[in-house]
Amino acid sequence: MYAQVAAAPDGAFHFHRGPHYAAARLGYDAAELAALPADVTASFAGVGNPHRIASISEGAVVLDVGCGAGTDLLLAARRVGPHGRAIGVDMTEAMRRRAAAGAATHGLANVDVRDGDATALPVDDQSIDVVISNGVLNLVPDKPRAFAEIARVLKPGGRAQIADIVIGEVLPDDALRDIDLWTG
Amino acid sequence: MIEAFASAGFSPRIVTRFDCFAGTTKERTARRYGVVGVNVLAIRSR
Repeated sequence: MYAQVAAAPDGAFHFHRGPHYAAARLGYDAAELAALPADVTASFAGVGNPHRIASISEGAVVLDVGCGAGTDLLLAARRVGPHGRAIGVDMTEAMRRRAAAGAATHGLANVDVRDGDATALPVDDQSIDVVISNGVLNLVPDKPRAFAEIARVLKPGGRAQIADIVIGEVLPDDALRDIDLWTG
Repeated sequence: MIEAFASAGFSPRIVTRFDCFAGTTKERTARRYGVVGVNVLAIRSR
């Protein structure tokens, strides 16, 4: 599905996409989004805003788990500046291509896009100041493994600034088994 | 997610909630079961 979002973000999906949604519903800065390549922001499909959780310092090393087409990744790269680094990891090749192309178009040499997934992050132990992620961890089947990986790569005292979805109640079995309730 | 974070040694807290499914085909499901987007901050212990 996320390869389809990369290829045709204006298609029919069961979730919002794009910079207008990000600014209107999630509190992103519209001007900041407008400064990014449209190919990047058109595929944005986050569910919250990691950048509003806490400020990211200049010079920091940031990891975006499931970076997609790169909206949050490129915003992080702008914040950390030339002395910092923004590493994006995504398992979908089409998304990685968009993110890397967007960084090149935007002149961000501090962006590094890597192939990988949340349960086996291609990142050294204790090498990251801030982990961000947006709408990804709910899709990972082995969540304990994904959170253990975040703990592994963060420096002691490092921050995870995660946007994702949560559910307000324990689901009845019939709802859990009804795939049409949860998919597009 | 909060429980998984806590099990990994973090002290997570929800900072903000978002009605991210409003206006989508899943709005009804989200309202029925309380599905919302959240911002979570979690600090790794030193």
